[in-house]
Amino acid sequence: MEAALWTEKYRPKTLDEIVDQEEIVSRLKEFVKRGAMPHCLFAGPPGTGKTTAALCLAHDLFGARFQDVFMELNASDERGIDVVRTTVKEFARMASLSQVPFKILVLDEADNMTSDAQSALRRTMEKYTDTCRFILCCNYSGRIIEPIQSRCALFRFTPLPESKIVEHLHHIAKQESLRVTESGLKSVVEVAEGDLRKGINTLQAAASMSKGITEEAVYQVVGRAKPTDVHEMLTHALKGDFIKAREELRQLLVKYGLSGSEIVRQIHSEIFRLPVPEKKRISLIEAVGEIDFRLVQGGDEEIQLSALLAKLASDA
Amino acid sequence: MTVEPWTIKYKPRTSKDVAGNKPAIEKLRDWIESWNKGRPNKAAVLLYGPAGVGKTSVTEALAREHGWDLVEINASDQRSGEILSKVAGLASTQSTLFGKGRLILLDEVDGINLRADQGAVATILQIIKETQYPLILTANDPWDPKIRPLREACLQIELKRLGVRDGLPLLRSILSQEEVKTNEDALRLIIDRDRGDIRSILNDMQLLSSRRGVVTVDDVDLLSGRDRTESIFEVLRVVFNSRTVAAARRALSISDVDQEMLFQWIFENAPYQVPRPIELEEAMSALAEADLYFGRIKKTQSWHLLSYALDLMTAGVAVAKQTSPSGWVPMRFPQKISSMSRTRAIRDVRKKAAASIGLKSHVSVRRAPQLYFPLLRFIYEHNPDEYERIAASLDAKEELEDLLSSEFKLET
Repeated sequence: MEAALWTEKYRPKTLDEIVDQEEIVSRLKEFVKRGAMPHCLFAGPPGTGKTTAALCLAHDLFGARFQDVFMELNASDERGIDVVRTTVKEFARMASLSQVPFKILVLDEADNMTSDAQSALRRTMEKYTDTCRFILCCNYSGRIIEPIQSRCALFRFTPLPESKIVEHLHHIAKQESLRVTESGLKSVVEVAEGDLRKGINTLQAAASMSKGITEEAVYQVVGRAKPTDVHEMLTHALKGDFIKAREELRQLLVKYGLSGSEIVRQIHSEIFRLPVPEKKRISLIEAVGEIDFRLVQGGDEEIQLSALLAKLASDA
Repeated sequence: MTVEPWTIKYKPRTSKDVAGNKPAIEKLRDWIESWNKGRPNKAAVLLYGPAGVGKTSVTEALAREHGWDLVEINASDQRSGEILSKVAGLASTQSTLFGKGRLILLDEVDGINLRADQGAVATILQIIKETQYPLILTANDPWDPKIRPLREACLQIELKRLGVRDGLPLLRSILSQEEVKTNEDALRLIIDRDRGDIRSILNDMQLLSSRRGVVTVDDVDLLSGRDRTESIFEVLRVVFNSRTVAAARRALSISDVDQEMLFQWIFENAPYQVPRPIELEEAMSALAEADLYFGRIKKTQSWHLLSYALDLMTAGVAVAKQTSPSGWVPMRFPQKISSMSRTRAIRDVRKKAAASIGLKSHVSVRRAPQLYFPLLRFIYEHNPDEYERIAASLDAKEELEDLLSSEFKLET
């Protein structure tokens, strides 16, 4: 059955189809040409093509039936050293039935493994090098222990440039016969922030409403608060209406799914636009900074931000 | 918009409107009627039963339907024999202006403190002997030894707890007037939980329905036996009305309400109970400090920090509050608690859905909700057919179906 999630439907099958990341793709193609590869470390933000690159590499190396010699593990799901050890061992140990010289094991979110688990993994990697190659994916290579890093070829995936995202979205829009306005597409790209998966998901959600993709539709989807929502919350507070302001805050947190630190960031940038005396701006920045710090210390987002709103409201 | 407590708004207007206890009320009404033919054999009734079954309400209703004045003396009043004979004694013998009838209510006579209310029992007995007007005494516990003499001098009528048979129609009628949706299971549960105490039932129903205009069994479940709202109300009253640190701290000892739950109750209600912005700022800042301590305790298991958190969330709020809201402000149910209790049930469903999405789209169970749930929710809301297509292509029809009923609908 054809995939209905567009991120899957339009996921590249071969290295040639990959959007952007030219340098990485050309290095991976080298591996295909030689029919050999080292262990790899794919590092980069979400939605930049790490898993896709691994899948495409396996496809180009082993053909369409690569699934037999390819395994994907999510480090954060299969936590614990034991799980990794046994699962990885089982897979790596069994000599492959087909003609390929090695199998590929992709370990996603490897930076979520504890360093103990990573050490255990390192030994496993070493032991089964003959039969199995590892591709470790992570957001931050710094969170991978040195011994593993030094055993892997490092590939750094970067956020996709806007032009590449636009290109890919245009391609999907055409296939799905969507009518896309310039501003609509631009707002999808803005939302995506270099994360192609986010961009595609946003487009698909907007398309579920109507085949015409407008800026309005996109904002409705994103769930990301528009700058005006934070502005509205602050306006209620400045008018002395704490209850309404807290209501807005809850909307931002629950309905729009914003994180506390994201809201703090947006409040910070709003401070310069608020109708308050200059001196007040400085004391607000101080208060926002304090809350940012408290969130790191384990404070509850809703409660800490409420205290800030109460502070704003009391000066009304 | 002013909100009236349902316990006042739906007070029975006449004795016929009182829910349940038909035979007892019939007996009481007969006794009242008998006064029209002169002073009956027993001039007083001892109306007894547990709290919240309508002892005071039925008395008030009777006075109203006869057009009589109601003279009421209750537990919180001074009740020494001297004062009693002055107020009740005069009321019981002197005739009224314009010859209007009169009903005398001595509320909570089992609350008489023998030392502080010296001579009270003897005085009441005297009043019963001499009264020219019907006298109703109420008590929770008629077998209390100190009121034994009263018991013998009175006609005894018992009011029982509200049962499901009488409770359901009453609640249905109130809820339909309030346009609150609910179902029979939820109503049965709440009647059972509150042990037929109408006052508690109405308080709880008003509180629960104020959130979404819908009351389900899950909502009622929130009021677990231990954290019954009755006791929470009492704690909140102390927190918001104390003027000293010591008094506010006492709130913690009068109830075994879970401390973090209590925190949520205080946080939810502070803006309504502390109307002046400048005082609210101080109260919220105390709560934010307390929250930080809770966070540190969780992170480092330093339980010795707990008492600072507790001081700040009770006394910190109490001392910040100098001004009271004008009029009665209903307590609100904390949003956090309702969502917490739901998450437990939802977690499983989410996990299963996340696993099937993750499998097909190469993301972890941990990240799948964040990456795909908002998308799916949106698609479901705007294009259910598309949602079904996606579910089918993920081989996850059942999982995504469950996800719908457990999560997406509740959040709206």
